[in-house]
Amino acid sequence: MIELLNRSVVRLTLVGLLVLALQTTLVAEMSVAGVVAQIMLCLAAASGVSGGSERGALAGFALGLMFDLVLSSPLGLTALVYGLAGFLAGYIESLSVEHPWWLSSLVVGASSAVATFAHPVLANWVGLEGWLTVRVFKIALVVSLVNAALAPLAVPLMRWSLAIRRMERMAPPPEIFL
Amino acid sequence: MPRYSVSRRRAMLILALTTVLLVTLDLQGNGAVSGIRRVFSTAFRPVQDAVRVVTRPVENAWRGITEYDELKAENQALQDRVDQQEGAFIAALATTRDAQELLALNGIDNLTDISSVTAQVIGEGPTNFSQTVEIGQGSDDGIRVGMPVVNAAGLIGKITEVFPNRSIVMLVTDASYSVPVQIVNLTEEVASTTSTSTSTTSTSTSTTTSTVAPRSTTSTSVAGSPIDSSTLAPTTTIDLTGLDLSGFVTTAPPTVVTIAPPDTTRSITTTTIDIDDLPAVETGALRGRGVDRAPLVEFIEQSSRFGEVRVGAVVVTAGGSQSLAPRGIVVGRVVKIVERLGTAGAILEVRLSARLDTLNFVRVLLYQPTVSR
Repeated sequence: MIELLNRSVVRLTLVGLLVLALQTTLVAEMSVAGVVAQIMLCLAAASGVSGGSERGALAGFALGLMFDLVLSSPLGLTALVYGLAGFLAGYIESLSVEHPWWLSSLVVGASSAVATFAHPVLANWVGLEGWLTVRVFKIALVVSLVNAALAPLAVPLMRWSLAIRRMERMAPPPEIFL
Repeated sequence: MPRYSVSRRRAMLILALTTVLLVTLDLQGNGAVSGIRRVFSTAFRPVQDAVRVVTRPVENAWRGITEYDELKAENQALQDRVDQQEGAFIAALATTRDAQELLALNGIDNLTDISSVTAQVIGEGPTNFSQTVEIGQGSDDGIRVGMPVVNAAGLIGKITEVFPNRSIVMLVTDASYSVPVQIVNLTEEVASTTSTSTSTTSTSTSTTTSTVAPRSTTSTSVAGSPIDSSTLAPTTTIDLTGLDLSGFVTTAPPTVVTIAPPDTTRSITTTTIDIDDLPAVETGALRGRGVDRAPLVEFIEQSSRFGEVRVGAVVVTAGGSQSLAPRGIVVGRVVKIVERLGTAGAILEVRLSARLDTLNFVRVLLYQPTVSR
């Protein structure tokens, strides 16, 4: 059982389900300025900060796919957006050798904002009209601020979920060796 | 500057292609995708319920902190409105009863013929883009995809996903929502005369239509109506004297409307209404535009009799053999008219009569259009 829990897939699934349940219950009811916080998106971006762009993209995709399964929007749309958020967060984080907590917050917030803009744009491409409105700016602002605030919690959580060990965490990002 | 290996690019490409495949399959209505959603939903449900129970105190505390002042002010405003509308409601009851009798006489379905299921809203939409709510009744209660959802104020939306004991409702404000509607221009005053006679309800049913040139007049006398008399209340007398009926279509002089069971002698109210003065009806398509923008009515086929659409005109569902909503559900009122050049017709902005941000109990009409029955 313990060995099973050490697998990143199992951890990510468990954390994803729990946070998805929070997203669809508590968080959905607690809107800030009429905007629902997106803690699943926060996790996706935090996975990029924790594990780099590749793992961030994969974890973000998996989290987005879970979210897609409880939504009415086309399956795969949120997965793509969250995968993009994870990838982008990992990429931006890899540009810096040092990773202070505030930088991680900034990266999570910025990636969340980009993903929030990308979501209605991609939805428009697949034929869902009406999502791309001026309100997107407000949504992006609130979502990025909330996610930046939650990042100090989300990054360690995703580090645990992706089973990233301390040595691996302290090492320079793999991208610089390529 | 970081560089990316071929294998990483390949991984990203595979993710993107997977997305394209999934989106395509879902948009084509692939059964496997719905099956996966259903299985996941069934597995996820207990986790969601448990988290909902655990987090309810936090949610209530949040609501208490953020909404107390707003709720207090709203409560006072609502109390005022209830007082104002109490009289109007009584008058509307009488009018509705007359309308139901006429619809039944003409064999036309009306909302009271349609069974419904009352459901509680158990969850809000978890995203900022699609406008949905979750209700606590599902296919076990006879709910099917497409059925209209209403509350006491009017149309709420339609069912888009059904599970055994819960359903997802797409709200009218969702950008994907569309329904055929009618726009009713309320006339300033309808010329009508009212006469009262006495007859025995079981004796006859007679409908007389007479045309008096140059204006047509319909005189309808209803006695012993074919409506199931068991649904009628025992003799009820509603005294409308002294009520302000100026907001209603029919501004007949204050009168006494009596609803009596069969085989009793009752007072019959015969209202003669000039057809030319009845509210004209125009059809169009209502579609949502997201949470922050009022729904629009488009494709209005303006007829000469209808004339100009006026601000304040009532919007109700149009019904029809293919419409997912039956005729006559109140949607809202026209608040803005945007004229367009050429034959494009006007666009109407509609203020919904139902408040979608404070939904609690809703009613799912177990209605399916004729073509899908």
